Amino acid sequence: MVEKARPTRAPVRLLARTGLVVVKRAVLLAVLLALVFGTVELLPGDAATAISERGESAADTEERRRLLGLDQPVLERFWDWMSGLPTGDLGTSARGEKVTDLLSTAFPNTLLLGGLALLLTALLSTVLGCWAALRPGGRVDRAVSGSATAVLALPEFVVAVALVLTLSLWTGWLPAVTIADADGTPASWEMLILPALALTIPQVGWNVRIVRAALADEARAPYVETAVLDGLPPHRVLTHHVLPGALPTITAGLATSTGMLLGGAVVVETIFNYPGVGSVLASAVTDRDSPVIAGVTALSGAVMSGVLLLADLVRDLTAGARR
Amino acid sequence: MLWVGGAIGAGALLTACGGADDEEPTGSATGDSAKPRKGGTLRVGALGRAGAITRDPHGTQANESDYLILSLIYDTLTVPGTKPNIEPRLAASWKASDDLKTWRFTIAKGAKFHDGSAVTAEDIVFSLKRLRATPAGASRLPGIQEKNISAEGTDTVVLVSDYANAELPLLARLTTFVIPKGTTDKDIAKAPGTGPFKLDWFRGGNARLVRNDDWYGGDVYLDAIEVKIFESPQAMASALLADQIDVASNVGAVAARTAESRKDIQTVRRPNDMAMPIVMRTADGPFADAKVREALRLAVDREAMVKQVLSGYGTVANDILGTGDPAYDKSLPQRTRDLDKARELLKEAGFDTSKTYELYTTEDISGLAESATLFATQVREAGVKVKVVKQESGTFWDKTWLKGDLYTTYWGTNDSVVFFASKTMVSDSGQNEAGWKNETFDTAYEEAIGTAGAVERTALLKQLQRIEYDSSGYLLWGMADGIDLAGSAVHGLPTLPGYGRVQLEQAWLAR
Repeated sequence: MVEKARPTRAPVRLLARTGLVVVKRAVLLAVLLALVFGTVELLPGDAATAISERGESAADTEERRRLLGLDQPVLERFWDWMSGLPTGDLGTSARGEKVTDLLSTAFPNTLLLGGLALLLTALLSTVLGCWAALRPGGRVDRAVSGSATAVLALPEFVVAVALVLTLSLWTGWLPAVTIADADGTPASWEMLILPALALTIPQVGWNVRIVRAALADEARAPYVETAVLDGLPPHRVLTHHVLPGALPTITAGLATSTGMLLGGAVVVETIFNYPGVGSVLASAVTDRDSPVIAGVTALSGAVMSGVLLLADLVRDLTAGARR
Repeated sequence: MLWVGGAIGAGALLTACGGADDEEPTGSATGDSAKPRKGGTLRVGALGRAGAITRDPHGTQANESDYLILSLIYDTLTVPGTKPNIEPRLAASWKASDDLKTWRFTIAKGAKFHDGSAVTAEDIVFSLKRLRATPAGASRLPGIQEKNISAEGTDTVVLVSDYANAELPLLARLTTFVIPKGTTDKDIAKAPGTGPFKLDWFRGGNARLVRNDDWYGGDVYLDAIEVKIFESPQAMASALLADQIDVASNVGAVAARTAESRKDIQTVRRPNDMAMPIVMRTADGPFADAKVREALRLAVDREAMVKQVLSGYGTVANDILGTGDPAYDKSLPQRTRDLDKARELLKEAGFDTSKTYELYTTEDISGLAESATLFATQVREAGVKVKVVKQESGTFWDKTWLKGDLYTTYWGTNDSVVFFASKTMVSDSGQNEAGWKNETFDTAYEEAIGTAGAVERTALLKQLQRIEYDSSGYLLWGMADGIDLAGSAVHGLPTLPGYGRVQLEQAWLAR
């Protein structure tokens, strides 16, 4: 009886749990957005003073404050902004542009860059980690682990500047910066290479170490030893026995990287002039532009939540499959 | 935050181009005699922040890229010039009443919007009233109430100032963009302009503009201009070096130094672009005694400041703001370093040299914080201990500006002595940065702006500058050049400081 019921009940349970997690994350996001409004309030100056011009009188700035709705209590402004959220209305910037307009191409651009970097990170770190794990303590293992530590310690901007100098300004192989087209996206795909690499390299350092460690852990499992004793070739043991077991840890590592990729994007986008959300966010903080900051936070928060949820699901599924 | 802009009146300052040596590169970005060639697309990089984008010609434009785009599409009544510092644009001519209060601007013949309709006085009145109604309106059109903007016939606009003001045409530069009457805020981005270029597309701060063949203002050579927004000068310099853009507008001294070794890159120096004076509070506090301020002016090593803070891309100044004004008084003795005299003055004033004084600064513009640091090192040699405190921009403008005893400030409009007098030095001026009150100065100012005759006016302006030189709260050690970098094919770039750099209608490409 019980055995038979499992296939139908498991998806339902999974769905319920997913639903609960989504609700939890949504609440968390709302709290985060409230924090954004509260924090901007604590910063010295406000959007009215930030966008006012020299020579404006206190009355002029007060008028700006009124026009921007800053004379309302912060709670009310937060509530106004939140109530627009379900309809996709992210409010208006301090300079009168719709926040959705400011983010409509910038956010997809950042997702494209971040996604590309994540994909590259996943591929490179898994391949390098496996290669190193094939012969633990061997020459390859020492080289990969050693350089992973070195690369991990490099900040994105150092990598970015080095890449611009070597692959663009000195050699002329790739464009130095990204320039956007009439549709707001990078004018050519080659412009994506350098920023993606600048984001990927430090993250590969981090993830190679995780992959390598996870594989080493898994290699000590009894069933792996059995496979080795059965005389299976090392690469087959790696791909069919060790790697699947290490997947949950590797996925969790990559999920953590997503956050760091988004954070690193702010720096990398500036250096490569990449038309992403990083530059929008940086200037919005300077302008104390709460609706814009909150808009960026809401979208990035949603994406981060989605990625973490996906990582949880992958972990559950792979772990479940092995149980 | 800051409205930077302006022009100079010194034709002699037309800049030399080229790198470190005197050898000219293949061409010259400015002032060359070759016959302009028609055609081509000029790719211009300009600074801007993606979150601060605005499309409103009467909005607060923080982005140089936005302002560049707007000023190519829309025309202002007058524009900055070389000599004189005001040139006609949409207003072909102007005339004042005897009391210098009523000004009549006549519209240029053949001026048309990009949709083909003729520009009327009603359009200009609508635009000026729209500008006046913004929160920045009172400072952009000082002394002009909304009700005192009116049309006279179809081609004349009348502005009546609350007080005599010989500088009104100067104030009509930079922000008086004209749009068709009745344009709503919702449609502002689509409003046709009258300028040398028409908008092809705009997206995320980048834009493509195409030539307006019907422009009333003369021949335009370029087929199109593409404006690219850059968040950092470094990225913009990289783009120029990698030939992704043709001009890096206002890219700064650091980039110019990097590009010095490249023979195919031209450096355009625009003198008198930026003033970064040190403000010493005169109203009260440790610097209220004029002798103390004089001592600091003698303790600073101006040559060293220009060399180190501006990488040599600048000129030594003499504590008078408005260095690009044709009426700037060059006959006043240049202050140079005199540490003995400085110590003596400090002693006379009973200045407490045992204390450490804080100098507030920001990193708003390149070189500002560096100027504070070097200044602190220099005045220490005269026995004044100064500690530099770097503030985040928002904090600085909120807490320190107009209030602090000692801080750095910066100004981008440097072609008018009267501009500074009216904004920052007259007793009741709104941005009296040093809290300076000087009745003789106030009288001299009022007389100067109420005088139409050129000779008398120049004499009054000299008097004004003498008082400022002797006792104002400013220490102006030097003037930074504006620096653009350009590829070798680019010709006809403007050499004006400030927002004079946006006048690209004369630019052309030799390729």
